[in-house]
Amino acid sequence: MASAVKPLGLQAVEARYNDVERHYAETRDIRLLGFVFFLISDCVLFASFIFAYMYLRVSAPAWPPFVDGHQLPWFDTAFAALNSVVLFGSGVTMHFALENWKHLNKQKFNAWLLATIVLGIAFLLGQAHEWSLIKTTWQGSSMGASFFTLTGMHGFHVFVGVIYLTVLGFQANRGVYTGSKYFGLTAGTLYWHFVDVIWVALFFLFYLW
Amino acid sequence: MEAGMHATPALHEHDSDDHIHPPPEGFIRKYVFSLDHKVIGVQYFITGILFMLIGGSFAELIRLQLWKPEGAIMSHEAYNVVYTMHGTPMVWLVLIPLVTGAIGNFVMPLQIGARDVAFPWLNMISFWIVPLSGVVLFSTLLYGGAHAGWTEYPPISLQDGVAGALWCLSIILVGVSSTMTGMNFMVTIIKMRAPGMTWTRMPLFVWATLATALMNMIATVALSAALLALFLEHVYNVPFFDPSRGGSPLLYQHMFWFYSHPAVYIFILPAFGVISEVLPTFARKPIFGYKMIAFSSMAIAILGFAVWAHHMYPSGLAPWIQTPFMILTFAVGVPTGIKIFSWLATIWGGRIQLTVPMLYALAFLITFTFGGITGIFLASVPANLHEHGSYFVVGHFHYVVGGGAVFGFLAGLTYWYPKVTGRMLDERMGKIGFWLFFAGLNLTFLPMHWLGLEGMARRYASYEYFAKTHPDSVFWNQFATVSSFLMVASVALLAVNLIWSLRHGKLAGNNPWGARTLEWMISSPPPYYNFKKIPIVYDRPYDFGEPLPYRNLDHETDPYPAPTRASLAGPAPFPAGA
Amino acid sequence: MTDVAAPKPQEVPTKGLGPGFWPFAIALTVLNVAVALLIYYAPLDFFLPGESNEVADRAADIDALFKFMSAFGFAIFTYVAGFVIYFAIVFRRRRGEPRETIGVQVHDSPTLELWWTIVPVLIIVALIWMSINVWAKVQFGNGSPALTMEVIGHQFYFEYRYPGLKSSVYSNGEAMHLPLGEPVRVLVTSADVLHSFWVPEIRLKATAVPGLVQNVNFTPTRTGSFQIVCAEFCGVDHSVMQGQLIIESPAAFRKWFAGEQTKAVSAAPVSLAGGDAAAGKAVFTQKCAACHAIAPFEQKIVGPGLAKLTDDPKHPTLVDGKPPTPDDIGEILENGYTGPLGAMPNRQATGISDKDIADLVAYLSSLK
Repeated sequence: MASAVKPLGLQAVEARYNDVERHYAETRDIRLLGFVFFLISDCVLFASFIFAYMYLRVSAPAWPPFVDGHQLPWFDTAFAALNSVVLFGSGVTMHFALENWKHLNKQKFNAWLLATIVLGIAFLLGQAHEWSLIKTTWQGSSMGASFFTLTGMHGFHVFVGVIYLTVLGFQANRGVYTGSKYFGLTAGTLYWHFVDVIWVALFFLFYLW
Repeated sequence: MEAGMHATPALHEHDSDDHIHPPPEGFIRKYVFSLDHKVIGVQYFITGILFMLIGGSFAELIRLQLWKPEGAIMSHEAYNVVYTMHGTPMVWLVLIPLVTGAIGNFVMPLQIGARDVAFPWLNMISFWIVPLSGVVLFSTLLYGGAHAGWTEYPPISLQDGVAGALWCLSIILVGVSSTMTGMNFMVTIIKMRAPGMTWTRMPLFVWATLATALMNMIATVALSAALLALFLEHVYNVPFFDPSRGGSPLLYQHMFWFYSHPAVYIFILPAFGVISEVLPTFARKPIFGYKMIAFSSMAIAILGFAVWAHHMYPSGLAPWIQTPFMILTFAVGVPTGIKIFSWLATIWGGRIQLTVPMLYALAFLITFTFGGITGIFLASVPANLHEHGSYFVVGHFHYVVGGGAVFGFLAGLTYWYPKVTGRMLDERMGKIGFWLFFAGLNLTFLPMHWLGLEGMARRYASYEYFAKTHPDSVFWNQFATVSSFLMVASVALLAVNLIWSLRHGKLAGNNPWGARTLEWMISSPPPYYNFKKIPIVYDRPYDFGEPLPYRNLDHETDPYPAPTRASLAGPAPFPAGA
Repeated sequence: MTDVAAPKPQEVPTKGLGPGFWPFAIALTVLNVAVALLIYYAPLDFFLPGESNEVADRAADIDALFKFMSAFGFAIFTYVAGFVIYFAIVFRRRRGEPRETIGVQVHDSPTLELWWTIVPVLIIVALIWMSINVWAKVQFGNGSPALTMEVIGHQFYFEYRYPGLKSSVYSNGEAMHLPLGEPVRVLVTSADVLHSFWVPEIRLKATAVPGLVQNVNFTPTRTGSFQIVCAEFCGVDHSVMQGQLIIESPAAFRKWFAGEQTKAVSAAPVSLAGGDAAAGKAVFTQKCAACHAIAPFEQKIVGPGLAKLTDDPKHPTLVDGKPPTPDDIGEILENGYTGPLGAMPNRQATGISDKDIADLVAYLSSLK
């Protein structure tokens, strides 16, 4: 019950807000929180379709389901595992890209970023090949419906990520970011890791379960 | 794409203007594509009211149709479109834009001492999606319209053709808007409160907005997923819900209700927040049980995610699933009950002024409690097996939505109108309008409860079979129809009041109600930058017996604000003399 | 800037809980007790159809639950509404009172808050307990039924199928009959979109979902004629999708049943010549796939899987002890089937033509 006039920590508060750098850190902090919330809501999107897949699979009389009298084959793990390594590898390269930026190694940053983009494109091509191997269609069964929708959504996210990283690369080389102000690069890295995490879930659900 | 960000500034007098951006210039920047949360709030309000007039007109078409058991004015086909286009806009283009978009946007940043929300650009885009989504929604009428209600269950909704696909698109769009607003508000509240405003010094409306924003951010995406799946089935024949290819109609219901149950808490929590502001102000005493109310808002937001299948009890759920959902559904009534009792204790021992906002708040306590109790009836699985799909449900949700969310919204509208416009609303029109709405709401929706229990099913374009065995149902339907026009009259009077008072209302001044939250410490209407100096907060706002807990206010303020003469209502709840 | 020297506004104290608080509370309590007595002892047929002379055993169980909820619900509502009005009157600002007068500055009361948490929780626990008991009876309480029948929802009529009755009974024209006093299990499903099977006097309702079968179990306890209502939106004629349920003495029921059995089935069997397997596959996908998969017999959706129908010795004999022949398949498609495997609609219900039957037989026979 404060009827005393001196508020808590007024000096500390004043000191804080006099510092312009602090101001930037606050700003970046807010954008980071916003971006994290965006990623969380994107997780919910995938979670909903993952729930749909699990529901359809568990309530089906048999899995893989029967189409036209024949039971569909299980997905083949080998190629998908290889493609996963490509994608996870791109997560590693992105991590190094950001680290190098923080340590002001612009050339190394460019190299690692390029590697990430190339691996991302390779993953997408790999997915296209994987899609051609699937024995059911998008319309043909609940297995096809879930698989193509989920991997399609994921692939779309990877595609957007590849474009985003390319734009970031151009921006970084044009001097938009400095050694201490590089929120865009942090966001891009977070997004790319998010795409990896989603893939872990999808790989487990479709190929290992 | 940096977000224009108004951060908390330095406190010294001479550089406090550093972080105030120059004012927007030109009509477009100021009123059309504005980044100002206050302008955006008003835009949401206008949009919400427009869609409410349309959705409400469709409601009157429903009531006119049910004047006669065989259907009085239109074919079954037309009726099915009408009831769908009553519910759909009401849920997504009226309720959410009004309680979250309008009041949340205008009031919340002011109450936390901020100059705007965290991401003003996102806020502007979130708004403009709403009218766009409305255009897409009503364009479905060009293709025959969607028929299967605001829930659009497959398989029947798949017979809607292009209209069905457009319906999905429109709601996905407005869902994106909600999600972005939720995220925006959460970051704003977490990061941009004035110095000294700890979590337990936040006004309860801000707590309510936080809980709502959390749900908006998480649940709405699940709706977008459900409708995306439905859209894919419409357009590309992807068999999520088609049992002949391994899909399940029940899957849609799970995905849909996982959002749509939290959605009802999205409607009501901001209304709860308004009540928590209005009651202390007009009883001139602190809110009772602040911590419990704040805690229960968050508890409702979280528990609300765990009860969705109570909309599906008769639908084919495995029996062992029904019981946990039943228990959780009953459980979520407890925090709500605690709030009602806390609000009752808030007005106990007060010096109550029966202004129009207070009347709406008090009426809320009555009608929302009634709706909550019929909700308990629906929570129980065996009772629900009788009530589901009948007019009992229609009665229940109109009480909690109309008697709850709408009353809360109207309390907020009449409470903050002076802050937004600088003018007081006409008290006499306000009171007449209140009584019209209160009577209209109760008389229209109360009979639906027994009609439903007797066996009248919902979404019926005609009820000739029911009327044959229950001849009194004709009377009750006609009674409800006539009563509904009381609500129409109330809305018309409200519109007149809103517009008339813009020019002729008494000047409000900064703080006509003698309230204590930060928005009343600045001018009415506030300057575009809200606060020249960001205030410092050192206690909760509701202690009427203590001086105001703020330092660094822009204006010289009475430490014990009292209601102004301009605002004083007569002690009677009935229209006093002018 | 705040100025602590300004005079504090006057707080108006309240004696006890307010003038007339306890008399008012007691009056409300008396009202609630009176209404509770009314709920328990007066006939409630206006609100709950058939309450004074229950139509089914489950209806009585559910009504007991309704009465409990109503008594408590009414009480809670009157207390809340009553005190809102009472406080608004007793604690209103008096005309002429200084503007800055404030009310009693109390923030919380742990004791009060504890009690008003505990009491609702106790009521809720009681409700949960009662609901689970009734729920258990509804789900598991009927033991083995004397009669199992099927109700299939269609746009826009109900189809009733009884064991031993080759042809279905349709709601557009005929009633569903049940014998008094015999436990019945109604299997509810749909042939197209969601419907719902609801007899308000029986209280139980089940959504008719294509691809899924639900049980509704009860024992009729009163004879009479009752409405069957579709309570799940199903399309343009949802509001006129109605049926009639007749509960009659077992003797009258058997008599009606015997009458149904003698109704002539169509004269000559459909000709199967010229059936086209490809066309049959299309018909299958449209009409049959909701209930049957082309899969081994065990892979039931509603009906058994139909892969290698004429070939696989694992596929059970259906008609006369031998594996089904094309003629047998045709007969079932034409007249439907009721037996140990369940009930299958006949051609009027499924809406298939002579050519469809021929094509289907060709397709099903081709599955090797």
